[in-house]
Amino acid sequence: METSNRELQAAEYLERHRIKELVSYLTSALLFFRPEKPREYLISLLERLRIAKVTGVAFPFFMDNSNIVAMFEMMDSSGRGTISFVQYKEALKTLGLYTEDGDLKDDGHIITLDKFKEEVNKRMKEI
Amino acid sequence: MDSTTAPHRIPPEMPQYGEENHIFELMQNMLEQLLIHQPEDPIPFMIQHLHKDNDNVPRIVILGPPASGKTTIAMWLCKHLNSSLLTLENLVLNEFSFTATKARRLYLQRKTIPSALLVQLIQERLAEEDCIKRGWILDGIPETREQALRIQTLGITPRHVIVLSAPDTVLIERNLGKRIDPQTGEIYHTTFDWPPESEIQNRLMVPEDISELETAQKLLEYHRNIVRVIPSYPKILKVISADQPCVDVFYQALTYVQSNHRTNAPFTPRVLLLGPVGSGKSLQAALLAQKYRLVNVCCGQLLKEAVADRTTFGELVQPFFEKEMAVPDGLLMKVLSQRLDQQDCIQKGWVLHGVPRDLDQAHLLKSLGYNPNRVFFLNVPFDSIMERLTLRRIDPVTGERYHLMYKPPPTMEIQARLLQNPKDAEEQVKLKMDLFYRNLADLEQLYGSAITVNGDQDPYTVFEYIESGIINPLPKKIP
Repeated sequence: METSNRELQAAEYLERHRIKELVSYLTSALLFFRPEKPREYLISLLERLRIAKVTGVAFPFFMDNSNIVAMFEMMDSSGRGTISFVQYKEALKTLGLYTEDGDLKDDGHIITLDKFKEEVNKRMKEI
Repeated sequence: MDSTTAPHRIPPEMPQYGEENHIFELMQNMLEQLLIHQPEDPIPFMIQHLHKDNDNVPRIVILGPPASGKTTIAMWLCKHLNSSLLTLENLVLNEFSFTATKARRLYLQRKTIPSALLVQLIQERLAEEDCIKRGWILDGIPETREQALRIQTLGITPRHVIVLSAPDTVLIERNLGKRIDPQTGEIYHTTFDWPPESEIQNRLMVPEDISELETAQKLLEYHRNIVRVIPSYPKILKVISADQPCVDVFYQALTYVQSNHRTNAPFTPRVLLLGPVGSGKSLQAALLAQKYRLVNVCCGQLLKEAVADRTTFGELVQPFFEKEMAVPDGLLMKVLSQRLDQQDCIQKGWVLHGVPRDLDQAHLLKSLGYNPNRVFFLNVPFDSIMERLTLRRIDPVTGERYHLMYKPPPTMEIQARLLQNPKDAEEQVKLKMDLFYRNLADLEQLYGSAITVNGDQDPYTVFEYIESGIINPLPKKIP
């Protein structure tokens, strides 16, 4: 079945603005906090997001610094302080921060905690 | 959280919250609007959309042949739902729009306007405040498939489409009696819908173009076009016969428009079946459990199982069984909680029957957090219940259950040795029924959104009614 041009356009739009991750995040927040007035709560979340984008301030997503450290430690089972490139790619995919551009080059260096944190934060800002 | 990590232990408050607040539909609508308009900046667009809060506003299209009563129905629906009515006439007569002035000239010359212009007018009108806040009803638009497609490409989608239909002969007859009130624009009829006030009667005018020939021509045109418009609205269309009194057509249209369509929202049914003894609750529960893989929780059964297994609760319950007294509410709730808190009940959903018997038990259930999302009252008249219960027999040798009317035993030999359960004796049944009816009013008040089903039919019909009650969204209460 060929997907029509409009469908492809729509899929590309979703991808470009990371709508799926955004909607997933909003729904998770709603179900977790279960506010009395869901609409008002959603509006407040979106306003905060908007301001965060404009001012460049880091937005308190579910992922914050301690979570990043925890994720890194989970992957680094031997406690060497580094993770392999494959693990790094997989972690980014799980967080929904992996883009298809393939700008991650396996430059032979292993990834340390600081580099991991830096990448995650950089990508978060791009959303 | 993705679907690869299993098992998910989702606290039951989450799906309950999601269902009550229709979170899925909310997100779905927002996503639809995003994809239709594809704004460059999605977040401000989403904020704007949420502020509008018009997901449930009426968006109706009414189509039908001439003289079917479209305009009458549209006007009545408008008044009832407090929405804006859009017809070709009032779009063109709009004084505030430049496009409307252009259209008016063409309309006065030829009585129709080109589709592109019409659709532009509609788009302008629908962007106005009152249509956004209170909804809109399109009367007689789109007439052709081309118009339907153009409207769709602009992202204007109705939620309900009503098509009136009646045989041509009836329509031609009816059109001859059409009269219009020039001041209000309302349409009356010499036979079916005559205005009561004499001053209106005096004002009424005969519209032009209602002769038989002209009506027949218009009907031909209509039939040619409607065949191609109907497939454009596959799931939201309803055909109502216009060959009935106005009021009937109106009520059918109103109920349809106020019902929601089935949604794709995830839904674990938590069904509560209430009804007097012998109304078929256990049977329906068994059928539901089998078809939808819900967990069948029968209160009486649970207690008997506890006693038979000699669990801690069973030891406590046993003395009540021996003395043939009702088990106290506190103990009952503990046994129920144990069952309903198990993982399979939370994940698959349950069908509960046998409780609550009265208001106290119902309040206890609520306070423990076991809120059913569908409640059914099975109504069976007293005589049917007596018939069903007093003729029940059991064969002591094979254990087979028979009913002297609905499932008689095959041979006389078996019939001779059948026994009756003492609980099925007439007085016992009457006692239990009285108990139920005494508590019925309170329970009905507590479960306001319950659905009443006529239980006096064959089991599969009742099952279908219950099924449709579970699958379709709960009807909105008319404020």
